[in-house]
Amino acid sequence: MADYDRRGGGGRGGGGGGYNRKRRYRDDNDDDHHYRGNNSRRRYDAPPHVRIRKQLIAIAENPMIERHDEISQIANLFTDNWEDDVLLRGNFVDLVLQLCVEQPLKTPFLAGVLMVANTNKPEVVDMLLEKAARLIEDKLREGEWRDVKLYLKLVGCLQGVMEGDGIFGVLTELFERAVGLQTASSEDTIGTEIVKIILLTLPYVMAAGSPEQQQQWQQKAADLLENTAIIASEPHPLQAVIEPYHPEPSEENPTQSQSLISLLQAQLQIEATQGWALSCLPRPWQFPVSEVEVASKLASAPKHTLPTIIIPKTVVTGPRPLFPEVYISVYGQQEVESVPPPTSLASSLIRDALLDTINVLHFNRNATARQLIEVDCYFAPRTFALRGTPFDRLRDIEKPKSTWKPEDVAVDAVFTQLFLLPNPEHKLVYYHSVLTEACKLAPAAIAPSLGRAIRYLYRNAPRMDLELAYRFMDWFSHHLSNFGFTWKWTEWVDDVELSGLHPRKAFIVGSIDKEIRLSFAQRIKNTLPEPYQQLIGPEKEKDVPDFKFANDDTPFAAEGREIAALLKRKAPDEEIDAVIQRIQSQAIDRDLDALVASTDVFVTCVLYVGSKSLSHVLAAIERTKDRLADAGAASDASRTQIIEAVMAYWSVHPGVALSIVEKLLNYSILTPLTVINWALNVQAGKTHGEALAFAHIYELVFNTVIKVTGRVRQLVIKASQPDEMVDDETKDAEIKNMRELFRAIEDSLGAWAQGTKDEMLEREDGSEGLVKRWGTRWLRVFKRRQAIEEAFLVEAVRERERKEEVRKEWEVVEQQRAAEKAAKEEEAKKNAPAAENGASGEGEKEKENGAEVDIVE
Amino acid sequence: MRGVRATVDRLDRPSAYFNNSKHKRRRFEKDQRDGDDDTAGMHPENREDDDPLKNATTLYVGNLSFFTTEEQVYELFSKCGEIKRLVMGLDRFTKTPCGFCFVEYYTHQDALDCMKYIGGTKLDERIIRTDLDPGFEEGRQYGRGKSGGQVRDEYREDYDEGRGGLGRAIAKERDGRDFVDDGRLR
Repeated sequence: MADYDRRGGGGRGGGGGGYNRKRRYRDDNDDDHHYRGNNSRRRYDAPPHVRIRKQLIAIAENPMIERHDEISQIANLFTDNWEDDVLLRGNFVDLVLQLCVEQPLKTPFLAGVLMVANTNKPEVVDMLLEKAARLIEDKLREGEWRDVKLYLKLVGCLQGVMEGDGIFGVLTELFERAVGLQTASSEDTIGTEIVKIILLTLPYVMAAGSPEQQQQWQQKAADLLENTAIIASEPHPLQAVIEPYHPEPSEENPTQSQSLISLLQAQLQIEATQGWALSCLPRPWQFPVSEVEVASKLASAPKHTLPTIIIPKTVVTGPRPLFPEVYISVYGQQEVESVPPPTSLASSLIRDALLDTINVLHFNRNATARQLIEVDCYFAPRTFALRGTPFDRLRDIEKPKSTWKPEDVAVDAVFTQLFLLPNPEHKLVYYHSVLTEACKLAPAAIAPSLGRAIRYLYRNAPRMDLELAYRFMDWFSHHLSNFGFTWKWTEWVDDVELSGLHPRKAFIVGSIDKEIRLSFAQRIKNTLPEPYQQLIGPEKEKDVPDFKFANDDTPFAAEGREIAALLKRKAPDEEIDAVIQRIQSQAIDRDLDALVASTDVFVTCVLYVGSKSLSHVLAAIERTKDRLADAGAASDASRTQIIEAVMAYWSVHPGVALSIVEKLLNYSILTPLTVINWALNVQAGKTHGEALAFAHIYELVFNTVIKVTGRVRQLVIKASQPDEMVDDETKDAEIKNMRELFRAIEDSLGAWAQGTKDEMLEREDGSEGLVKRWGTRWLRVFKRRQAIEEAFLVEAVRERERKEEVRKEWEVVEQQRAAEKAAKEEEAKKNAPAAENGASGEGEKEKENGAEVDIVE
Repeated sequence: MRGVRATVDRLDRPSAYFNNSKHKRRRFEKDQRDGDDDTAGMHPENREDDDPLKNATTLYVGNLSFFTTEEQVYELFSKCGEIKRLVMGLDRFTKTPCGFCFVEYYTHQDALDCMKYIGGTKLDERIIRTDLDPGFEEGRQYGRGKSGGQVRDEYREDYDEGRGGLGRAIAKERDGRDFVDDGRLR
């Protein structure tokens, strides 16, 4: 069927058509020329809505243009064509609203355009506010809290052109909801989220007006802040669970991380006492003295009433679970401040805007990376030091000037997501890819910042939550794989001599293994300084592990070779049966567990036969799955022997072992409980606890838990959908299994953490402390997972009820609105001939087609 | 495209390749069946509905080195979700890897995420290409170039060590002249 290689020749569509076709091939050059020629000529004739779309999307990106010039230019282009181009009005408003949720760094500049446009065509602001109000209502009902925040930010930036209280009414009512939620339950997270939104909107509101206006609002802001203080300063019970660092008992200052919201509250209070200077926020609507005309027009521009925004009585959590957040930075504790300190409101405002950008633009990591690198464009001039200033030069910067390095601020923001507990919004690999792209776009500026971040994280790896330490390792190795595996390993050379139980040594060993998994041993060996070479033994360089039955000293060597030969020629089951019988009777003679002995031989043979590649072993498992399943079902010991054999055969390449275990779990040949028992009791016991320091053992347990919890989540979600048939029995059984699994994990890890495991007593090198610490770190990770899953089960039920409430409430609102609208229309009919109504309706419809007409038809 | 166009291009769209090949195939089918079927004459507006990539869980992965192993592909691509199946692209004659593969996930979302987060990044120190694919079918694992590999490796003018050096057709043509020196082109 489809022909992957025929692309070079023939079958091309007409030249110049299809603007989204990738052009990579030389034979496209002719087309390209044609296309560009057309394009540049057409730009002249491009209809205004096309030009405006283009300019609006790119707003504030070019540092060479004066912001206020750009803003008036777009605003004038828009208002000049107001009459001629009907498509334009609706398109413009929609685009502004889309941009403020897709590229939130640009919101203040969009507000600037609107404010200038308001001096000519005030209707546009009314149109926008009306649409924004409806969108905010929708997002509130859906629990899309980020969108609520982003629309409120735009509306907040327009506070200067609003009548009366403007947005303060909405913020106050939102606050009342938060109070209600918080009073009802101390575990509430929605109320906290709402307060966070209020606090993050407030600065944009306060920056929006003239000094006189600001004067008027100060009291309102002060009232609001006074109220939010109680909620913002109350530590959430879940905060301990998401704490990223756990100082060792010996450490001097076991400071707890600060919650984001309490920091924000404190920063705003400081800002209030300083008369809301808000020095990092851009104010593109403020025109220089030379532009008196525009400035005076802006000052006397018409004001608007914010349409009513109905905030539902019941609010929902929304699609993303809400958790308290804590402030972290990889650039703390430096001699020179390269990022805004946590005491400064700028740290919260810049980071919030960057995080929204990162999480919203997940569909184009290149765009994300570019906006991160250009962060200085989107804040007030002089908020940052010059782009690309080396860290060493920061200390030469004289005092009132900023030493904040835009690269550090950007990288820091990505790391907060990579290290967000319990989970960031997107897959971790997304954040990897953003850092990779940023590094590709501006290597000279970004790479040194990353290097400093890596050093900070490496130093702190022992204190880090184990889940985060694993994420760090996973990112680090993946990142290096994108940049030729180059890293200054020499600086950690002293740590190579550390015991395997030391967290930093564990990091080194784990990272090297992950690098090899993405590449191959010889390649990685070449990137490492001599002292590290001993960590990569010669067995790592073998493509295929040794077959232990090739050695006659191994018990059952002859039988092993026989079974391998039978498997290779796909002999009938009976022939294999005969050999297995023989193994079992010999095992009984030698006083061994017969099942364990035969399982070990058989599984090892399957692995050996499939050792060439993963597809080989998967095919081998597929062919023998009945026998494997029987072996697994025969006894606990036999089932454990299956995973033991896999992990032993592939011990040098644990990545392969883990993939095989995953498939065996899918076939139900292994059970999750077997995997956990093998890892935390068998293997950890055998190594006197050292296995707890092996990254691949953690990965094995973590993946298994995620598999189980993922399945439970799927069933719960399915069961909540009316048209899906999930019987409660299956669901309840899975939940029960999950709880049993967590209990087993907690029992084993608890014993390691407390040092009550028998094998622990056998340690004679005085390293029990280190083992206990690993146990504690592990335990914390899985207790958190359990807490999250239990919360999910509870929340799933509650959320469904809340959604139902919201739906009912909204039905009433819609009925009321329909009635009001009908009454108004009736009124209008009586008073005037209906001319205006039709026009706007048609505009809406036409817009659909208009939006698709772009620079190239 | 359905819905409102984003203000920034999306990376999880299929490349133009598939769209083009769809038309080609349609034409091809029509020719073959001599116009007596109705799928070939399908109205363009129906196409959106039965877009074969709408729920695609498979990706075509290109520009791999011939030496990249399944395990390496697993390691990287598992970062976007569990892999259901992996099929390595093979030289039609030698049955050795020839620089592409199909990765199948369990969910469409994982495949889209892979487009967004892994396509265009490096595996084995090469920038790899991912494209949504309607699904693997037996036979597609083989290269369709004249000499057994992928067609792009027939006429490639640059020397690519990871993909067998120079394009095979070109190498053959140049063979005998003094371009070749200890098996490597200078």
